[in-house]
Amino acid sequence: MVTERGPARRGGGYDRPGGRSGNFEVNSWFFMRISGLLLIFLALYHVIWWNLVIGVEHLSAELVIERWHNPFFRLFNVALLTFSLLHGLNGARYSIEDYVRSPGRQMTVKTIVYTIVLGAWAVGLFALFTFDPATLANR
Amino acid sequence: MAQAPRSTSLGSALRYRGREGMWTWILHRFTGLGILFFLVVHVVDTALVIYWPDLYDQALVLYRHPLFRFGELAIVFSVLFHALNGLRIITQDFWPYAMQRQRQMAWGVAGIVVVAMLPITWMMIAPLFGLAEEPGAERHRARMEAAEFGTNGAPVNPETEVEL
Repeated sequence: MVTERGPARRGGGYDRPGGRSGNFEVNSWFFMRISGLLLIFLALYHVIWWNLVIGVEHLSAELVIERWHNPFFRLFNVALLTFSLLHGLNGARYSIEDYVRSPGRQMTVKTIVYTIVLGAWAVGLFALFTFDPATLANR
Repeated sequence: MAQAPRSTSLGSALRYRGREGMWTWILHRFTGLGILFFLVVHVVDTALVIYWPDLYDQALVLYRHPLFRFGELAIVFSVLFHALNGLRIITQDFWPYAMQRQRQMAWGVAGIVVVAMLPITWMMIAPLFGLAEEPGAERHRARMEAAEFGTNGAPVNPETEVEL
């Protein structure tokens, strides 16, 4: 939705714009802060672990599968995946609403971006939840 | 009739003299969108690991190209800056005193990012020029050795748990 002012109020100010119902914007504002705080720990740990402790040079499918054997890290990845993609998607929504002004084009761009990001989320969740340590142990 | 919102093109953003607040706002947005773009690719290729581990290893060969290392460095920088600047924004939202000192807070964020990026840049880039070992090299050698001889000198067993 293009951010617009609602009707002018007598005596100054503007009413809440119509369209988006309820407290969606306030809730998304809170969500950005709460998920952001969590991501400081989740994402920084993840980035430091794989880039500086393990080193991308030493990365392999085997190493990842081994790590995923631990249910804690699968849960960790579910949280990291979910919060990062939803935080990123809402950030992308802010940007789209700022820069794509025409309602028709905004709808098109949003549909494309939402599909790609939510699709990646689905793929990630699918992999994390269908991971079966037993069948992969002897690859 | 609602008033048309003002244009916020990149050009007008750069001309706007909002100083620290504006610059961190621009960088926050760029790093955020950059991370999101990388994230989508990263999630999909990591999901390959479960069903097509060999394909994943092939993707990794591509990622080992030296040019990708600079991309990875950019990602580390982006996550670090976005995290610290986000923390600054949250602090300012809930603590009026911090809002009054937002300019100093922005410089504090910049300072911490620069100080942290110096050793990180060395760790990630120096190995490309043979100036230092790859990060995690020692851990990797220990792991390879354990896999070769098996833990506790036992014969190699694919199910042997190796400490990551």
